[in-house]
Amino acid sequence: MKFDREQIQMVMALFVVAAVAAVLLGLTDMLTREPIAQAEKEALHKALTQVLPAHANDAQSDMFKIGKDKQAVSVYPGKTKTGRISGFAWEVIARDGYAGSIRILVGVSPDGNIHAIRVTSHKETPGLGDGIVNNDSWLAAFVDQTIDSRNWKVKKDGGDFDQFTGATITPRAVVKAVSRALQFFNSNRELMLATVNGEKSGGAK
Amino acid sequence: MNKSEVFFDGFWHNNAIFAQLLGMCPLLGVTTSAENGFWMGAATMLVLLGSNLVVSLIRGVIPKNVRIPAYITIIAAFVTIVGMAMNAWMHEMYLVLGLFIPLIVVNCAILGRAEAFASKNSLSDSLVDAIAVGAGFTFALVLLGGVRELFGQGEIFGLSVFGSSYPDMLMFILPPGAFIALGFILAGVNLINRKLKARAEQQAQLVQNEAVEAQS
Repeated sequence: MKFDREQIQMVMALFVVAAVAAVLLGLTDMLTREPIAQAEKEALHKALTQVLPAHANDAQSDMFKIGKDKQAVSVYPGKTKTGRISGFAWEVIARDGYAGSIRILVGVSPDGNIHAIRVTSHKETPGLGDGIVNNDSWLAAFVDQTIDSRNWKVKKDGGDFDQFTGATITPRAVVKAVSRALQFFNSNRELMLATVNGEKSGGAK
Repeated sequence: MNKSEVFFDGFWHNNAIFAQLLGMCPLLGVTTSAENGFWMGAATMLVLLGSNLVVSLIRGVIPKNVRIPAYITIIAAFVTIVGMAMNAWMHEMYLVLGLFIPLIVVNCAILGRAEAFASKNSLSDSLVDAIAVGAGFTFALVLLGGVRELFGQGEIFGLSVFGSSYPDMLMFILPPGAFIALGFILAGVNLINRKLKARAEQQAQLVQNEAVEAQS
């Protein structure tokens, strides 16, 4: 089978376009990889500052893991200048949101009161479900609550938390995930405290 | 066509949204606020600049039969680059718009410009066209985003206009609100176009009358 000139030209043209595009994308990836990692670290730092009770340490470098392998949860401990534990923060993922998973950073005091929560990434409808990010009064309802102090459902389901007009699924998913986070804390509290205190005295994990 | 004609044509007469009704997906998806509309428009304009530039440079080199896949590859490359750059240097905005950035690839307004303009015109004209179409698209997104934000949440660019007692009109935030608001905006655009046309005719008539008078 012989190819005519035109066919070879077509193949060559597409090949060159695709090759140049691939090289450009590779270069961009190399250029942006560092800044993206940096931006993500800064975003996490900002979120940690908001959800952790007053602390003086770099919570990201003091991070430790609870659990095994893939299910391990990264816990960010907050410590005061004197080395006292001020609280813990970790991320929970709600997979039952309206669109995609919602990642929520939950910060609690050592005795299990929520200090603050913050949504770190989501794909909910802009202007509707994204109230979980910027609706301050809704977010304030979580502050100082424990697993027992509230009925962890939205009001529509007979619980204590508001839903938004036109968006119930999103707040429902967040409330559920936060309650899960608190359960996780209750069952791992001793381990978390021991891990941080153990590190302080230089002991093994 | 001179440069200002190219610009006005891309920005107004052939506006991707108002005249061609192209790119409805980002229109519906991100115009819940003026700010989102602005950054989506800016990202689209960057992609347009890149794709118009390259397509104009390689016009005549690409065989006709494979031009569409070649253009789409070029556009997709620029979209990915813009997405990565946004992720790196405008991280917070990326978290809001990130979902819609990849969809710029299938915004037919961009392929439309590559096919209908850049592949047939000089480099400088293509760049002017990219700026014009991009600015027109951004203008449309900001206008629509502003209208929806104003009626939906009583704010413009996040600043309260109607005060905190304003009852949010949910409909304008939801996609149907985009269509309804767009309908009214299109009616306004058509009204302006009609006025412009009437004035142009009036002036043509005037010039004609003067010419007749001068003759007699």
